[in-house]
Amino acid sequence: MKPITRATIAPMLVLLGAVALPACQTPAKTEAPKAVPITAAAAANMGNNCFTCHGPDGRSPGEIPSLNGKSAEALVKSIQDFKSGARPSTVMARHAKGYSDAEIAAIAKYISSFK
Amino acid sequence: MSRITRRDFLKLTGGAGAASALGMLGVSSAHAAKHGKMGAHVVVVGGGFGGATCAKYLKRAGINVTLIEPSTKFITCPFSNYVIGGTHKIENITHTYDALKKSGVNVVHDTVTGIDAAGKSVKLKGGKTLKYDRLVVSPGIDFKWNAIKGYDEKASNVMPHAWKAGPQTLLLRKQLETMKDGGTFIMVAPPNPFRCPPGPYERASMVAHYFKQHKPKSKILILDAKDDFSKKSLFMDGWNKLYPGMIEWVPGAKGGKVSAVDTKTMTVMGELDKHKGAVVNVIPAQTAGGIAIKAGLANETGFCPVDFKTFESKIHKGIHVIGDSSIVGAALPKSGFAANSEAKMCASAIAAMLKGESVADVSFVNTCYSLIAPNYGISVAGVYRVTEKGIVPVEGSGGVSPKEATDAFRAEEAKYAYGWYASITADTWG
Repeated sequence: MKPITRATIAPMLVLLGAVALPACQTPAKTEAPKAVPITAAAAANMGNNCFTCHGPDGRSPGEIPSLNGKSAEALVKSIQDFKSGARPSTVMARHAKGYSDAEIAAIAKYISSFK
Repeated sequence: MSRITRRDFLKLTGGAGAASALGMLGVSSAHAAKHGKMGAHVVVVGGGFGGATCAKYLKRAGINVTLIEPSTKFITCPFSNYVIGGTHKIENITHTYDALKKSGVNVVHDTVTGIDAAGKSVKLKGGKTLKYDRLVVSPGIDFKWNAIKGYDEKASNVMPHAWKAGPQTLLLRKQLETMKDGGTFIMVAPPNPFRCPPGPYERASMVAHYFKQHKPKSKILILDAKDDFSKKSLFMDGWNKLYPGMIEWVPGAKGGKVSAVDTKTMTVMGELDKHKGAVVNVIPAQTAGGIAIKAGLANETGFCPVDFKTFESKIHKGIHVIGDSSIVGAALPKSGFAANSEAKMCASAIAAMLKGESVADVSFVNTCYSLIAPNYGISVAGVYRVTEKGIVPVEGSGGVSPKEATDAFRAEEAKYAYGWYASITADTWG
């Protein structure tokens, strides 16, 4: 049997006249869609992993660019450009492809809190 | 509930008088709800990438934390290959606990001799017993001495393993420095699972870099228990390009498995041949750190089964095992980066548990840089989630550096390797 994916369910729900669609209606492009909303703690868990290379609270002491002081919008654009390949990278594309659009937005929001 | 000492009280109240602190108890429910169980105490065993990071992030979450680590200085395994290759000094890879102490982590330089899971306490060599509400065990690895006949702790003074950084690192460096040009450096590479999967091959690269400059007639022989290794194709390409003819790798299927060593004759016994080395580096098979095994946290594999979201032991409740000692499946390697990532998730879970909140979704990242030469870097990266299959890479993410790349690309990855080290050590001990 063909598995029922979120992509196939969403139009079905629309046809059924459902109104309470989840916030993230469009299916993610490459990875499995995340059904549950991303909590602040889950966003922090993802975002804290960035600091391993980009320095504590995004303040890099070495050759890797710092992340602190950047707006959420700028961070989303950078990560999305790495993900799409619009911006060439050594390793960032490999990381960016690990997150859905909603996750990238949540990570960016968390990291933008470090001034 | 844990015992609240006078010292804890003074800390919690910022040095206010004990009497007024006691007075606060009656009206502290809001504070307790926000900051967790009053006086809840987490003890972290081991001050490496896992333990130090976990202590730091627990403290940031407002948890009272004690870190127990025997050494006052920590020498990292990452970058120790560059000390062996002569491009770095041991001082460059040595870190203190000063910043952690300053941030309020109670750092105790002592050795844990026993863990009482039922009584929720740890015993220290110095005589003290510490109570905990939750315990984090992050003791790294230990070796299976005598898995290779004749290779025990004493033999490591002649044939260093240098797989725990420190005196062993310096011993191997000294042996390479005093070796005559034209000698053979033999490395015995370990079976899976082991700490730092690309490490042995990066080490061979850095020794080759040293030989190329100072002892160009010398050879490197890697006798491997395995038939494959991390980033193999990238390493092989780099070796052919930079050190043609210098490094020979013998896989397990072709006689690479070593059964015995003899330190008197500097001989290594493979399945097919005997090899004599001028310098011999034996990296033995590994297990979880000794204290984890002593505490009964390991299973028949020699490593510790844990819940992937909280890192709580599947054997003893209330004890979390992170880093090289834990079993995280085949995907996430035993690396300093993975230990740092696991530590953050474990700290987040413990803080939630102590505050009575639900444990958040976790996410893991790993990036291992290896240098084939000081300006030639390669990497493997991954983003991981927990599914019903365990910790698995997110589809489409991660992978290794491209096989075809310009010199500028390899140089940029080398630059990021140095940047990575500066950042992760600041994130862990800074």
